[in-house]
Amino acid sequence: MTTSPFLTPSPPLPPVSQPPLIHLTGVTKTLKGQDEPRTILAGVDLTVNPGDSVAILGRSGSGKSTLLSLIGLFDRPDGGQYLLGERDITKIPERKAAALRSAEFGFVFQRFFLLKHLTAAQNVAMALVNGQGWLPRRKRKAKVMAALERVGIGHLAKHKPPRLSGGEQQRVAIARALVREPRILLADEPTGALDTDTGNLVVEVLRETTDLGCGLVLVTHDHDHAAKMGRVLHLSDGLLRPTGQRVVA
Amino acid sequence: MRLSGRLRASLIIGGQGIRARKLRTFLSMVSLFLGVLAVVVVQAGAEIANRAMLADVELEQGIDGTRQMYLSPEGQTVPVALEVLEGRTDAVAMAGTRAIIGEPGVMPINKGGGPIDQPGYGGPSMRCDESGCYPVNTGDAGAPQGQAVELNLVGLTGDIRQFRPFRASQGQWLDFGGEPSLAPRLVLNEHAAKAFTRYHVPAEMRVDGATANPTPQIIGVVDDGGYQPAAYVRIDELMNWMPVTSVGDSNSGPGLQVLMTPNAAEVEHTLRARLIAAGIPGDRIHVNTVETLKAMSRELALIRWIFLGMAALVLLIGVAGILNVGLATVGERIEEFALRRAVGTPRLLLAGIVLAETLLTGLLTAALAIGAGVVGLKLALMLFGSRFPSLEGVAFPWQAGVAGVIAGLAAGILGGLVPALRAARIPISTVMRA
Repeated sequence: MTTSPFLTPSPPLPPVSQPPLIHLTGVTKTLKGQDEPRTILAGVDLTVNPGDSVAILGRSGSGKSTLLSLIGLFDRPDGGQYLLGERDITKIPERKAAALRSAEFGFVFQRFFLLKHLTAAQNVAMALVNGQGWLPRRKRKAKVMAALERVGIGHLAKHKPPRLSGGEQQRVAIARALVREPRILLADEPTGALDTDTGNLVVEVLRETTDLGCGLVLVTHDHDHAAKMGRVLHLSDGLLRPTGQRVVA
Repeated sequence: MRLSGRLRASLIIGGQGIRARKLRTFLSMVSLFLGVLAVVVVQAGAEIANRAMLADVELEQGIDGTRQMYLSPEGQTVPVALEVLEGRTDAVAMAGTRAIIGEPGVMPINKGGGPIDQPGYGGPSMRCDESGCYPVNTGDAGAPQGQAVELNLVGLTGDIRQFRPFRASQGQWLDFGGEPSLAPRLVLNEHAAKAFTRYHVPAEMRVDGATANPTPQIIGVVDDGGYQPAAYVRIDELMNWMPVTSVGDSNSGPGLQVLMTPNAAEVEHTLRARLIAAGIPGDRIHVNTVETLKAMSRELALIRWIFLGMAALVLLIGVAGILNVGLATVGERIEEFALRRAVGTPRLLLAGIVLAETLLTGLLTAALAIGAGVVGLKLALMLFGSRFPSLEGVAFPWQAGVAGVIAGLAAGILGGLVPALRAARIPISTVMRA
């Protein structure tokens, strides 16, 4: 197992007896557009344990992002069951979902979605200034700096996104996802807008979050990046199938 | 605590949004400025006009609700009225007459009884009857100019301040107890006091209809809201020097005026009955109730609402400007709002962020408009203050400031509500599809 120079030393892995972070059983989703309803997910089963890293591969339009949006509570499944820990959140109302998104999940997107008028630190702080509790300015600043340091860009805290490279911007986005210390990190093609080397670096940073007990679900087209995850699943015909477990050298 | 966190979050993010879009915020403020300024100006103008017009109206016209009876000083009117009102505290009669105080046998410096700074203000004394108006022979034709002041001498049967709340300036008010003095005690109004401050004249008083010229004692000064020199005196002290038939028989006043409290119906009935019994025709006895303040307030309020309505129309144009800019901005910030929802920001807070931005814009504009109003008023006072004495000492009314802030907040809410609702409805999946 390689170690990114950007991460702090890992604490011990959580004990195996812990309940899974997320557990999806027979989850279905049908999109109702102008044309005929289209079944995107036809009964997906997925379990992510603390410290797990899961890659999801699949063709464009196979439903990878839809699955991720269901896991991240952007949307709700039409059928099946979704357990977060031991709590059934299949039909959780939006108000409670927002609180869970803030407390339990971190999100990294293909486009970094950094606000150009804010500094890197302010972009990271966005996840803390979201109406879910209140942190005094000093504590907020400390958390933001810790998150930026964790992904190795503490020295860029005062830089605005236009002055950062693609890799640096994505690391700011990762810091934003990590700043609330989520239990699950969801990444939707986070290397899609990066060159190969930078992409590898970003994937390494993401993977190493699992050393701290965080669960990682990575949606990607890139088989090499997927290979760096603990499990690789393939989504096709609305179903999630394992493609073999890989061990990172 | 939770609400406080959300409020703080919306203010922080709203402030960031304003700083990020300075030009748009400025343009919103420009479109809103005239509307808020219009509200501020109308409110300030109305308040200043209110103060200028209403402040002295009770002094001059009497407190609302006061019953006023006007009697022509003919026949037995004055003796009957004085007899009925003697010793009463709920009804007071007042009779005006012309008096000149100063050097004997000289022409007063303000012939006609006008303000001493405005010569000729009053014009010659006139008397009017059924055949028309004609100058009164005041007996001083051909007299040399000298140091004497003409004023309206008002005889009172009791304390008039319950009906006309004169403000004490100096000295004391008339004491209606005890025996009348042979040297009539006078309380001057401020215009008369100003005249006597300027002209230190010998104290001989010539009173129309008096049998001799008494020596007055000046005991106090009041602000009676009048614009001409006047003095108040116990009517019985005046009558030491003039026959009762001459009281009120003057060209200086409306004859005999009786002021009564609203509860003095018994006095009114008695007086009316006695006057009719004394041969005064009933239709020559005029009674009315003072409602000046109420009527003027109603008129001023109507005028204020008309102008506020016009200001609201201008404000509405500003609101449309904020709304336009707000909708365009939300359209541009779809991804930002979707992202904020993705990181756990509740819909309500997103709406709050947009509203906070428009409210802050409205408040900033209100502050500018109020500042412009204050500066404008100061400039107006500098330029026109000397021409309009009633503007002297006028300060920017706080009500106009409050109206400006309310207008700014209302415009912020009206202009920000629709963009706020749109922002709250942006689906999170926008960030997944991007």
